Amino acid sequence: MGENGAGKSTFIKVITGVHKAEEGEMYLFGEKVDFKGPKDAQQAGIAAVYQHPTSYPDLTVTENIFMNHEIKKRGIIQWKQMNEEAQGYLDELDADFKSTAEMGTLSVAQQQMVEIAKAISTHAKIIILDEPTAALTANESQKLYKIVDKLRDSGVSIIFISHRFEDMYRLAARVTVFRDSQYIGTYDVDGITNADLIKAMVGREINDLFPKPEVTPGEEMLRIEHFSRIGYYKDVNLHVKAGEIVGLTGLVGAGRTEVVESVCGITKQNEGKVFLQGREVTINNPTDAMKNGIILLPEDRQKTGLILSWGLGRNVTLPIVKKLSTNGFTNDKKERELSKKFLEDVDTKAVTIFDPASSLSGGNQQKVVVAKALAQDNMKVIIMDEPTKGVDVGAKAEIYAIMGELAQKGFAIIMISSEMPEILGMSDRIYVMCNGRVTGELSKDEASQEAILEFAMEKSSKKQKEGV
Amino acid sequence: MAGKSGRTISATPEKTLKKALLSWEGMLFVLFIAVNIFCVCISPVYNLTNVLREMPKYLAEIFLLFPMAYILLMGEIDISVGSTVCLAATMACLASNAGLPFIGVILVSLIVGTICGMINGFLATAFRELPTMIITLGTQIVFRGIAEIALGDGGSISVTNTAGFSAIAKRVGPVPYVFFLVIICAVIFTVIAERRVFGRNLYAIGSNAKTAFYSGVKVNRMLFISYSVLGLLAGVSALFLTSATYAANTTTGKGFEMDAIAMAVFGGISTAGGKGKLVGGIISAFTITCLRVGLGQINMNPQVILIILGALLICAVLLPNISQSISDKKKKASRA
Repeated sequence: MGENGAGKSTFIKVITGVHKAEEGEMYLFGEKVDFKGPKDAQQAGIAAVYQHPTSYPDLTVTENIFMNHEIKKRGIIQWKQMNEEAQGYLDELDADFKSTAEMGTLSVAQQQMVEIAKAISTHAKIIILDEPTAALTANESQKLYKIVDKLRDSGVSIIFISHRFEDMYRLAARVTVFRDSQYIGTYDVDGITNADLIKAMVGREINDLFPKPEVTPGEEMLRIEHFSRIGYYKDVNLHVKAGEIVGLTGLVGAGRTEVVESVCGITKQNEGKVFLQGREVTINNPTDAMKNGIILLPEDRQKTGLILSWGLGRNVTLPIVKKLSTNGFTNDKKERELSKKFLEDVDTKAVTIFDPASSLSGGNQQKVVVAKALAQDNMKVIIMDEPTKGVDVGAKAEIYAIMGELAQKGFAIIMISSEMPEILGMSDRIYVMCNGRVTGELSKDEASQEAILEFAMEKSSKKQKEGV
Repeated sequence: MAGKSGRTISATPEKTLKKALLSWEGMLFVLFIAVNIFCVCISPVYNLTNVLREMPKYLAEIFLLFPMAYILLMGEIDISVGSTVCLAATMACLASNAGLPFIGVILVSLIVGTICGMINGFLATAFRELPTMIITLGTQIVFRGIAEIALGDGGSISVTNTAGFSAIAKRVGPVPYVFFLVIICAVIFTVIAERRVFGRNLYAIGSNAKTAFYSGVKVNRMLFISYSVLGLLAGVSALFLTSATYAANTTTGKGFEMDAIAMAVFGGISTAGGKGKLVGGIISAFTITCLRVGLGQINMNPQVILIILGALLICAVLLPNISQSISDKKKKASRA
């Protein structure tokens, strides 16, 4: 178990030979092994089922199961035999689909079954399941548990990765906790409590990485009411005041990004209203949002935040080219001066404003994204989606400092983050989302990692209490 | 704000003559001169007056290059424009024969072309997930199909009253009207691409359409406008084409889309979007036109000319890739 980014998946990839360990030794059945690639691990009897099934959607189930170890006779693939064997594995797993079905037509749960069948087909002795229940419904999870039971009874060792307590109590004999890429401890599941696990998963001292200045929040800047988008989020209400930093957290896939993307006109909500300084505003596209001073710093710098092939200066001025223009003609000189000023303000490590954005590190790219937002002089509300994702510690601190200064200047800030320390360290108020709903709102004083996790995993922990 | 380290970032642009000459457009210009010298050497009648006289039949295609370049810069494509030209020409001939005054004929051609372009623009924006190659492949077949029905069994319609068409085919000295119009279009489209907000956003969309959209660029509107303008200029092209032959037939405009794309690509405009300059496309268009005129004057087989142009195009596409990989290797070597 462990939080997002604790290093679980990376660790698994080392075991399965996808990545190579820089140090340390691995022993398999008492013998030292050294995998040079995934094929070695497969031959040694280790199979992994990843969080996101890595299948070929256009091929049949059989083809997926036997990918790279097809049954051949003199170089000719034995389709009939393969189909029969694949069907055999599927029957063993009580699957409700045929081996000739096309992979893309199956549900995520069914695709996982295929992946498990694939693992069995390689006669694996150890099967690793990486967050298999993350994308499953409660019913599908129950079914998966039964499959795992069956595999265990047939003598296969199973490593089951999850951040759902339910999974652990139901399946595991022992649980190992990771945090910040470190091994924390291994505990017997009998006799461990929710509280113990949470403590092990998040229990860390928050130091003063977060220079959060004390700001008395002013008037309400942005409020959204009854926001709903079918299939993404439902009845979301939240608000942010001037000078306030509001954290929006929850597990990945809880619907946080989707909510703010609708606020910023990237997608359209089915229901709900946006109020800016008490007045209702209509936002149909990103331009509307920007005109109203609502600025989004998107989560994915490389895909939606920057044009990597462009120089830094042009990236900064992209949203304001029109504003700086005279009669529709661009004003290159003004653009250069402005972008230079804002890039220097956020202390970007670059030689010229013509350096391509692709040449910068993640942290500096993020600073360019910040500069791009700051260059919009009508800015009122800043929405930062995972502002420090993939950013090194030094640049992180600088970005936090900028956020603090912006709050002091009276801007309203919404920060989406999955990182607990950041949420707790920077936010005045915290909203927690789970499955497309806001499940909790916490003030700075009420907030604790345990409290947030309770809200973020509301569903699974409730079930646990009910004793499912 | 921050800026604690006091680090400064340079904002002085570098512009040198050497850089301009070494750019793709600079090299194309050298090639343009070389092609002209080559033509003078092989053809005794190759001179400015003769070139201008023979140019009109090629110039009609160059109209399509400009908006096509915009569409390519945004990373999209339109392969239906040849059919649009055919349909517009057919309708113009029908309108003329129906007794409409020539101004009406002009309007018919322009409106038919623009409607075709708007249809493409609508489909391209309403179904963003479909590749425009496929969308315009469909409209290519549809537009030509409609034109062929209108052309009837003979597959050809001749204009009975040629007065209007012959008027637009006139010249000032040796220079045909159409030449002036092409130059005016070239200047307007280049200035928009280089100096105006619209142009900047074209490059933004072609470089990363998602980031452009997130940054407030109206991607769909720009696509729709560009496709519509391509349709409009297809209407213009159809008028001048008809003025050369006083007829429209099933082969009118055939292959124009590929010629326009070829000129753009030869001019350094990437079909992947975001790269290249209008100037390059224009120089390449005139280079190709001059080569066609010159080779035509020595009575070279038109099919052989096609083969030569095709080979040139492949070289043009390969060259930047090769020089890129060479400079990458050099960089690696200097780092090591």
